Formats: sequence, structure tokens, C-alpha cells
Amino acid sequence: MARSSVQSSNQSSRSLPLPSPTNDAMYHTYRSDLSQVRALVLQHARAAGLTESRANDLVLAVSEVAANTLRHTKAPGTLAMWHDADEVVCEVRDEGTITDPFAGHHKPAPGASGGHGLWLVRQVCDLVELTSDANGTTVRMHMALRSPGADG
Amino acid sequence: MWYNTGVELLTTSVATVESGSEPYTLVGLVGEADVTNSDALREVLDAEVAKQPRTLIIDLSGLRFMDSSALHVILRANRAMDRQGGVVALACPREPVAKMLRLTAADQLVPVYSSVSEASAG
Repeated sequence: MARSSVQSSNQSSRSLPLPSPTNDAMYHTYRSDLSQVRALVLQHARAAGLTESRANDLVLAVSEVAANTLRHTKAPGTLAMWHDADEVVCEVRDEGTITDPFAGHHKPAPGASGGHGLWLVRQVCDLVELTSDANGTTVRMHMALRSPGADG
Repeated sequence: MWYNTGVELLTTSVATVESGSEPYTLVGLVGEADVTNSDALREVLDAEVAKQPRTLIIDLSGLRFMDSSALHVILRANRAMDRQGGVVALACPREPVAKMLRLTAADQLVPVYSSVSEASAG
């Protein structure tokens, strides 16, 4: 991907560009209808061949990230979904900024009144890529289709 | 006594169940509980907690989905019940919800039973 040689001063090392989604990616813009987001993810995950259990894991992950769009931004978010023979990928982009580079890496204390969302995302997905800067946040969630440890 | 609060995605029902020596409060959740209706869920649970029942059972059997916002509301109700000497129990979560309760270790704070009758027997 061609990048301008002039880098925005607020760009951090975490905002390295992710490779573009595949050409056949499906896009959906959402605001408060998270149920529709979940239905689309479930449909896509099933069609791609994820087991029901792992499809539900991906639904939870995407829903948690999309919920952050509602909590922390005033603008719509965009869901992109695609898959190939190896994996299903869901990407959520919004205008929010995540400043904690370790967001979701630490298990919240039992009964904590926050911090479970990104923790759950990182628990249920095979790979999570997160880039964030002043322009917005992209969270890309990967589920392998032939994971050796896949259940049912 | 039954009443329903119709939130589009999530329907809640509340009943006082006469059982043996002591009645318990049964809150049934049907649909999907997420950040868009967690305020409504909080109001329902707060109202029941305020009546100071000995036991508050939340029937999750009709819940297709639960996110961390809904979990926080349940944990909040659990803390409030604990402070006033009562108990919250969760009954019959479907597998995706049960898995989420395990991953967050919420199942170590709030007991999870496979049925309402088991939950009411404690």
C-alpha cells in the first residue's frame, strides 16, 4: 500500500496499516442495531464453515467491539467480513480511539464493573489485530477454519 | 403477579414464586441482552433488589445472547443482594451465555444452575 511520506504527528507505532480486506468483503454500516450486526456475523461465519460454537464466539467478539462504538463515539461504525479457505475475518472500524496499548490483555478482576469486552474478544478469537490513532480504531478478528484445537 | 416490560430485543418477566418455606423472585430474560438494553435491565433488577427478597433467580433459558454490559448489570445486582444478605442465582444459560460466564469467571461469583428448580433449592 502506498503511504504518504508525511506522517501525521499523532500516529503511533500501533497504527501501522493493516493489509486491505479482500475484494469480495461484505460491508455493513451500523449504529445501534447490534442485533443485526450479530445476525450478519452469524450468517457469514456459518456460511464460511465455522462450527456453531466458534461462530457464536465470533458473534460475541464482534458485538463487544461494536458496542464500544456506541459507548465511545457519536458516529456509525463499519463492519467488514470476508473469508478464504483458511479463516473467517471480521473487521470493525469506528471513530473511537483506544489509548491503552494493552487493552483487553489483562483479565479483569472477578466482579469488575468494566473491562470485560476486549478481554472476551481476545479470549475467543484466534487472532486480534488492533490499530488505533486519533482518526479512529480498527479491530480485526480472525477465526481459523481448520484450527487444530477447534471444538465441536 | 406477572408483568412484562417490552423492550424490542429483550423481554423481561418478573414473578414471585411461592415455594416451600420462603418465596423467591424469578426474573426471566428472553431475547438478546446487550449494551442497547442494559439500562432497562438494570431498572428491572434494581426494582426487584429493592424489595429485598431472600433469593433472586434469573432464568436465562430464553436468552440467545448476552454481552459484557448485561453481565455487569447482573454482577451489580449480585453485589447489592449480597450487601443486604440475599442471594442471586442464574438458571439454565444456553451454551454461548454459559461460556461467557465461565470466561469472565462470573460463574465463580454468582452460582449457575441447570434449572430454576435446582436454583431455588440452592
